[in-house]
Amino acid sequence: MTKPIIRIENLSVGYTKPLLEKINFVIQPGEIVAIIGISGLGKTTLLRTIAGLIPKLSGKIFADIRPRGGIGYIPQRLGLVRHASVYHNVELGARCGVKVRDDSGNIFNWSKRKAVVVRNSVEEVGLADKIDEPIRRLSGGQQRRVATARAMAQNPELILADEFLSELDKENADAIIALVKTYVSNNQCGMLLVEHHSERAKQIADRIIDLSDFETKSIEEE
Amino acid sequence: MSVKLNKVWMISFGLIVLALIVMNNLVRGDWGDLTGGFGNLIKFWNTELWPPEWSLIFEAQSEPPNCTVDIGFFCSKAYTGMLETLKMAFVATIFGFIGAIMFSSFAAKNLVSKSVLIPTRLFLALTRSLPSIIWAIVFVIVVGIGPLAGVLAMILYTVGYLGKLQYEEIEGINREPLEASRAMGLSHTETLTKVVLPESGNTFLSQLLFMFEYNVRHGTVLGLVGAGGIGLHIDRAMELNQYDHVMAYLIVIFVVIVIIDFVSLFVRSFVTDESEIGDKSILSVLLPANLAQRIYQGKRDSD
Repeated sequence: MTKPIIRIENLSVGYTKPLLEKINFVIQPGEIVAIIGISGLGKTTLLRTIAGLIPKLSGKIFADIRPRGGIGYIPQRLGLVRHASVYHNVELGARCGVKVRDDSGNIFNWSKRKAVVVRNSVEEVGLADKIDEPIRRLSGGQQRRVATARAMAQNPELILADEFLSELDKENADAIIALVKTYVSNNQCGMLLVEHHSERAKQIADRIIDLSDFETKSIEEE
Repeated sequence: MSVKLNKVWMISFGLIVLALIVMNNLVRGDWGDLTGGFGNLIKFWNTELWPPEWSLIFEAQSEPPNCTVDIGFFCSKAYTGMLETLKMAFVATIFGFIGAIMFSSFAAKNLVSKSVLIPTRLFLALTRSLPSIIWAIVFVIVVGIGPLAGVLAMILYTVGYLGKLQYEEIEGINREPLEASRAMGLSHTETLTKVVLPESGNTFLSQLLFMFEYNVRHGTVLGLVGAGGIGLHIDRAMELNQYDHVMAYLIVIFVVIVIIDFVSLFVRSFVTDESEIGDKSILSVLLPANLAQRIYQGKRDSD
């Protein structure tokens, strides 16, 4: 049996009072898990806790993830540096990507390799012609592609995405879904996303956790 | 008149009366010093200040001693003194600005924990609690009379003043880019240089220009306590009651400050949130930013 990327046991999340309790689930390599449910249940809080942005209230998170660059986090409003270019934003991801070593164990010329990683990631999301454009001049769909490219450039073990398909038309959403599915499958990383639209969640995820099913607001899933 | 407006008038009137009462207390009820004050000013102007000693501006005064430039102005005391003040302000602004960025990143609550930000904020508060002229007195004692004392005083004040403006600006940055960088595992320096600076760059640049203006203005005063620049010449002239000399220096300061203000305003008018006002006319610097934006927008639409 393969080692899961992340295993969550009896996790409670919230700020002062728990919003979600007794959360248990695992994400395997190459798997996309979607959390759905109405607003205010604590989906984003769960994601932020796993990302290490807020402390957990109780429970355990076992993760096989490197501390720098292991998590590719795409927040709801994408978290891009608006006044900087596409290249600058994707480079943020690439700079904490995995450093590749040659046969003798030396790290490749990292600045050159980083530039290659950035260009490849930007090309993959179809924005090669926009690489020097500032983020604020891009459409919503293009900005979502940049956020995806930034996460991909990190070569992360786990991607956390918070409603990153919202406000997208079907055509754009389909394109990004296809892109992400291919990436997760090829790189055998995991992905946990929070999604408002259950149809889109079904389209992208291998497994869905529906918080609305749990009256006690707890996820018991193994 | 509405009740609300009535209240405003009442409060304003009350404040004016209160100010007059406090003033009366300050002069201990004796307003006699004010009578004839204007006359004294006119007399002082005619006998001591005007005409200024123009030679200080237009004639070489062997300042610096080996000055060999043909045009006298460039060897005049006023020019060399003002140039020294400008150099002091420039150096202090650059080093102070860099220091302020470093300290402000440890004083913003969205970047560091309370245990780091509280001592940093205390340090910043300490540096700006004393005006630069008081720091100049301290540094004149420490490093002696001359521009170095002025530069150090201005650096310290710039760090404190800009540091506060900057950490407030940093705290206003959108939460999500910072969270994304934290989740990625970027270091404090990387977050500062790659996220904070690009997001706040326009405001920081505007603050930098403002601080340069401020330091030039204050640099002229620092000489009064021996901290170099044109203020040193003013101090010497005042000691000798040469007020026509003082007037000449004041004219130079006034002209230079107006030029710097104007250039700075013009440059800062380009630095908007979106940096996209577009074509500039020199008059645009005199308009408020939102009015300038609307005018340029209208102009673009009509084109």
